[in-house]
Amino acid sequence: MKIALAGNPNSGKTTLFNAITGKTEYVGNWAGVTVEKKEARLKKKYELNHEIIKVVDLPGAYSIAPFTSEEAITRDFVVEASPDVIINIVDGANLERSLFFTTQLLEIGIPVVVALNKGDVIDKRGEEISVEKLSSQLGVPVVQTVAVTEKGLKNLIEIAAEACKINKLTYQLTTVETSDTDRQKIVKEIAKHTFVQKRDATTVRFSDKVDRIVAHKIWGLPIFFLVMWAVYSLAIEGPGGFLSGYFNDTLFGEVIPTVVTNFLDSINVNPILKDLIVEGALGGVGAVVGFLPLIMVLFFLLALMEDSGYMSRVAVIMDRYFKKIGLSGKSIIPMIVGSGCSIPGVMATRTIEDMNEKRMTVILTPFVPCGAKLPIIALFSAVFFPGSSWVGPSVYILAIGVIIISGLILKRIFVWEAESSFILELPEYKLPSLKHAFIQMLDKAKGFVYKATTIILVMNTLVWFMQAYSWSLIPVEDQSMSILASIGTWIGPLLIPMGFVGWQLGAAAITGFVAKENVVSTFAILLLAASEDALHMPGGVLTEFFTPVTAYAYLAFNLFTPPCFAAIGAMNSEMGSKKWLFKGLGFQFAVGFAVATLIAQIGSLIIYGAPITGFVPGMVLLAGLSIGLFILIKKADRKRTTLGLED
Amino acid sequence: MVLSKAGIGYKGNVARIEGKEKIKKFLFSLGCYEGEEITLISILAGNYVVNIKDSRYAIDEAMAKNIILAEH
Repeated sequence: MKIALAGNPNSGKTTLFNAITGKTEYVGNWAGVTVEKKEARLKKKYELNHEIIKVVDLPGAYSIAPFTSEEAITRDFVVEASPDVIINIVDGANLERSLFFTTQLLEIGIPVVVALNKGDVIDKRGEEISVEKLSSQLGVPVVQTVAVTEKGLKNLIEIAAEACKINKLTYQLTTVETSDTDRQKIVKEIAKHTFVQKRDATTVRFSDKVDRIVAHKIWGLPIFFLVMWAVYSLAIEGPGGFLSGYFNDTLFGEVIPTVVTNFLDSINVNPILKDLIVEGALGGVGAVVGFLPLIMVLFFLLALMEDSGYMSRVAVIMDRYFKKIGLSGKSIIPMIVGSGCSIPGVMATRTIEDMNEKRMTVILTPFVPCGAKLPIIALFSAVFFPGSSWVGPSVYILAIGVIIISGLILKRIFVWEAESSFILELPEYKLPSLKHAFIQMLDKAKGFVYKATTIILVMNTLVWFMQAYSWSLIPVEDQSMSILASIGTWIGPLLIPMGFVGWQLGAAAITGFVAKENVVSTFAILLLAASEDALHMPGGVLTEFFTPVTAYAYLAFNLFTPPCFAAIGAMNSEMGSKKWLFKGLGFQFAVGFAVATLIAQIGSLIIYGAPITGFVPGMVLLAGLSIGLFILIKKADRKRTTLGLED
Repeated sequence: MVLSKAGIGYKGNVARIEGKEKIKKFLFSLGCYEGEEITLISILAGNYVVNIKDSRYAIDEAMAKNIILAEH
């Protein structure tokens, strides 16, 4: 048996889906969190007679044909999933709007059961919805549920299983021919007969008063920055950062390597294998796993924020600023989600209707430093800027600046007709659930550990091997004769404009495309093999390669060049065309090189008063990029004139 | 009168929706169409917060200009 979940955005479909399948899919308190259908098996607890039941969670919709009458996109989605029964989640807090979609679902010809959800909200308002009347008027079973507390879910599944057995509806409320206006009238009648409204929805409530403060035209922005600053300082400086510091310096820096080395020595393990384990696997993975507490705190706080309903308000505040740079207010949601991880961030762009705004957001979202880039930021600020707390925040401010400037440039070089409009539901605020945030945090932690013990471990073992052996597979005395060194040397010339000298820097940047954490673990392996000092020590071995200024430039280089392969994959599917993917990647490379070159060359000139290595190539690169940009803008302007578009 | 000219607290009916078919259709599915009640709750950072049926929506100025209200 297969059950499909359908209903309005933010009606609680995914919460219900997670409750009955035991999954931990992404939930947030704004319209359009679920962007693609998800399928899973029903949890044992809810199974009937040990039958395997599949559940499909569909993206939310207000109507069967959301854009034009001809295209019934939502119907196609439902039919494609080929369920035996549809559970239509009706938002009890907004009955009339939900029922419009219900009448359309009834016409598909698949049995429907209505889950009247958010029973707790209805109770809180002191309102009543008559389940019996609603059921008789719609001609389908109606079950009251509270997805958050799993109330009524067992009953819902039983009734859904029963409904499957009935092949044909005996009663037809509306037909496909019913006009949408008539449909609204029918729905209105049903709501009138079943719903006892106690409150006047149009009065100004507490939630509206909060909105007037947090989405205020002047205070909105500072409040948003304060919230984000609190999230990051709690994660980076607070308990998360403290534990990570301990993990890095003591646990993975001293305790574990010593214990493992002693153990391996005691059982007379081959020294090469010992080095591989201690320096390659432990050194590399340890340098990353140490950041687990920091990342857990970050995701916990982001989950709380997403659950509260605040995200939609931030979209409202940002809309007018983002419009100026060719984005939509909704672009802020992918960016906040992207501050945890770029992959769900890029996927969250699907709520942006306008294709051009969506593409711009896909290109810009990876510029927001994600959780995997935090280890790089933390490492560089510990080594080069010990004791100063401005490095972390400055990276985020730099990212915002780069996003704004990039947006302005993209708006100039790509031609499109501005037709975007902004409409967003403002859900009621709710007290964020600690349990939910905790589950999301554990889920993210599991993902992080999984990544560290698979892709990062494999990559680190490979890196260790490549720095210890030559192309003829003979162990090398000197790292600079190794495979990795020769690969790093090939890339070397590309890094000259930024004043980065040393094959190690190229090698680390490349491994970063597999997973950004690899930048840190590659340095850990390379330098651990060559030196005894701990990687994270202030003024440690990394200072042989960088001055503080070029270190900051290298940080920027890793932040603003394209993201890891997994995120590039997400960009590919959201862009919808290879042409746009390559345009996006090209743009990101250009931005990464330009920002890093500017910081390294101009920064060094200002701070040290003398040009550094690669000054001339750097200037040539910047000039080349400027000319390229100039040509692209001219070309776009000509196209605009031919198309008769104003800008 | 257009919605963008209404004062905060205005409660009235929609006379018609102008503009693109896609937007009309979307507003319709939310319950914002001819003859339906709409209330202007707040104006926040250039966006119009309206109540339609039982929900609040933020609408930008361009869209607010397309919502024509019936004269009282």
